[in-house]
Amino acid sequence: MSKYLSKRILSSLLAVAGLFVMVFFLARLTGDPGHLYLPIDAPVEVRKEFSEKHGFNDPIYIQFGRFLEDLSEGNLGYSLRKERPAIDIVLEAIPVTLSLAAVAMTIALLGAILIGSLAAYKPNGLFDRISRVVSLTAASAPDFWLAITAILIFSVSLGWLPTSGIGGFPYWIMPIAILVIRPLGLLVQVVRGSMITALSSDFVKTARAKGVKESKVIFKHALRNGLLPVITVAGDQAAAIANGAVIVETIFGWPGIGKLMIDSIMQRDFAVVQASILITAIVILSINIIIDIAYAILDPRIRHK
Amino acid sequence: MKIKSLSLAISSAAIMAFGSFLSPAYSAGKDITIVIAEEPDIVDPCEATRSVVGKIVKQNVAETLTEINPDDGSVTPRLATSWKQTDNLTWEFNIRKGIKFHDGEDLNAKSVVKSINRALNPKYDCEIRTKFFGNIKLKASAIGNHTISVKTETPQPIMPAMMGTMTIVSPNTQEAKGVRNPKGTGPYLFNTWTPGQSVTLKRFDGYWGDKPEVENATYVWRNESAVRAAMVKTGEADIAASIGVQDANDPKMDFSYFNSETSRLRIDITRAPLNDIRVRKAMNLAVDLDGLTGTIFPKGVVKMTQIVVPSINGHNPNLKPWPYNPAEAKKLVKAAKADGVPVDKEIVLIGRLGIYPNSTEAMEAIHAMLTEVGFNIKIKMMETAGWLNFLSRPYAEDRGPALQQSQHDNNNGDAVFSMFNKYACKGAQSTTCDKQVDAWIKEATAATGDKRRDTWRKAQKKLHQEIIPDIQMFHMVGFSRVNPRIKFTPTISTNSEIQISQVKFN
Repeated sequence: MSKYLSKRILSSLLAVAGLFVMVFFLARLTGDPGHLYLPIDAPVEVRKEFSEKHGFNDPIYIQFGRFLEDLSEGNLGYSLRKERPAIDIVLEAIPVTLSLAAVAMTIALLGAILIGSLAAYKPNGLFDRISRVVSLTAASAPDFWLAITAILIFSVSLGWLPTSGIGGFPYWIMPIAILVIRPLGLLVQVVRGSMITALSSDFVKTARAKGVKESKVIFKHALRNGLLPVITVAGDQAAAIANGAVIVETIFGWPGIGKLMIDSIMQRDFAVVQASILITAIVILSINIIIDIAYAILDPRIRHK
Repeated sequence: MKIKSLSLAISSAAIMAFGSFLSPAYSAGKDITIVIAEEPDIVDPCEATRSVVGKIVKQNVAETLTEINPDDGSVTPRLATSWKQTDNLTWEFNIRKGIKFHDGEDLNAKSVVKSINRALNPKYDCEIRTKFFGNIKLKASAIGNHTISVKTETPQPIMPAMMGTMTIVSPNTQEAKGVRNPKGTGPYLFNTWTPGQSVTLKRFDGYWGDKPEVENATYVWRNESAVRAAMVKTGEADIAASIGVQDANDPKMDFSYFNSETSRLRIDITRAPLNDIRVRKAMNLAVDLDGLTGTIFPKGVVKMTQIVVPSINGHNPNLKPWPYNPAEAKKLVKAAKADGVPVDKEIVLIGRLGIYPNSTEAMEAIHAMLTEVGFNIKIKMMETAGWLNFLSRPYAEDRGPALQQSQHDNNNGDAVFSMFNKYACKGAQSTTCDKQVDAWIKEATAATGDKRRDTWRKAQKKLHQEIIPDIQMFHMVGFSRVNPRIKFTPTISTNSEIQISQVKFN
């Protein structure tokens, strides 16, 4: 197991390094960012001077050499826009997104396991049919529309919740609810499907024949086997949120990595683009490794392979 | 049944009570919250000409030497009490006495000169320099304890207006751009900046001017206009400086105001068929500006006749907007075609996503109107970076005929901030080259008083009637939402500054 994990971590690091280099070149293909840093009316000479000062006019291989030199000193670059080290900006943003992702995925996963298992217990029963329709709708609902509608209902009309911003418990309710809806809808479908398969398997029939309590049959024997595909999908969804819950961050004013990445791409703030992609890639790769570990814990066949 | 109804009533009351427990605390007393559209990435006063910085810092934390009156563009005293031109290259400014910076340093000639030199230092790319002073070679010196002289290599008759952009900071301010706790002389101290969340200002009790009513101001930011509008509606904020027209639906709270932006389609008149004046006339006649008003553009926009708004020195009040006359436009196109002008050639309409509300719809409408009279138009909507590649020199040599959606902001009192860039032969965004217009631009730039104004007006007239370098659209309006507990009226300056000292409580 430890050998397997070491191999995974090494290949992940290589992937991150490759991604980092690719981002460097792709970002610079978009041209000289001087246009965006300076006012629209800045004279041509001022633009030229700016580009020369910051090396944007240098051949790409010289810019790359400078980049590698900075990297060797642990320097991920300096945000020209914010006048601060890029890594500081990114490290301020990532915990915001990770908190949102962790809470949202925990609620989505627990909710999906409960709802999906109960739906699978009586396939095509009333609960199953209702949960299928609702989960399909939830999986398809557009975040943007949900967020604005929620604000109009719960903040403006009812006055129950704040419209936006970061703060105590009330400020978390709507952003988390919006983030939970789609993964919950998707995961309910996956849990339901895999639990139907698990509940009709021989070992479940044996457990029932031996007189095991029904709740134990569902939530211990069947669920453990049904969870493997769920973990994969949950990991994908967690990675998607960690990559940036952009819409939720934008609408509710949460300063997370998704919004930061989009803004820095639009502004051609190369250092912040690179730093945020690097950190996000590390987070996603970590999630993948956690999924692998969870697989090994759940399935002894994988552990012993 | 009675018990059921009672249970229902109790449950509803409990839910409502729980709900109100969850709702946030709102601004109260003499504190206000202002919600703006984007987070400032910097709060250095030398960047205060950027609207996101200016709304927080300008005239609140750091004040300028002079101030432009938003109603008529005239120049009024602020930190400078008076000024005079001693020769055609030199201005003297008298600095107000008895003022201290927030850190206790004295405002005097030396500290003002230091501030000017910092803002204009080419090492730091402050926007005050890159946008307004550009290539002007300037030397500021202290010639008395409270008098400075500003000498330039070329005549700058509007130097007092340009000093309306020059924010003055404490002499203890770090040299490099990027100060995160600016110290000025303004009525508010820069208190806190929580990155990603808020900026707070606190009333400065040592301020030299009238004591403002607002004690503390908190700035927060939300990209989405509907959310900004909702925040004022619920009382979470007091001012949403700019909201979309679709969200400005409450006449008790919403104000429209000229926001000093002028929108147009720049015509590349160097490329056929756009180099034919009949084509350019036809394009202006083909656009139904009345039809666009109150639909795609909000009510209150004013049809443009020139690049500067009426309050700017050099605006020519005698020019009339283009009428809508598609029949006449078709005649002109037909006549041009008969003379061999390639009116069927594809013309690219370069639009910019989000340049103003409904920017894409505006381009689609104009596409339809121009196609109707016989042009072959293709829309290309781009994000800002891509759009900028087409806006300024150097232009691609192999470019085809193009119209470019653009918007220009000038609330600095004089047409000089617009004319060279947009219409001079060497203007950074000009596709026009007319010797007479160039001569008038040069003449007006060096002139003063009525001569200056009248020369600008001559240039505006020629551009409007004989050159026609634009499809003229609108002087734009913005919308603000204001909480009824305060008194605040947005003006043409609200786009670039929000003076908290002007906010009063009802």
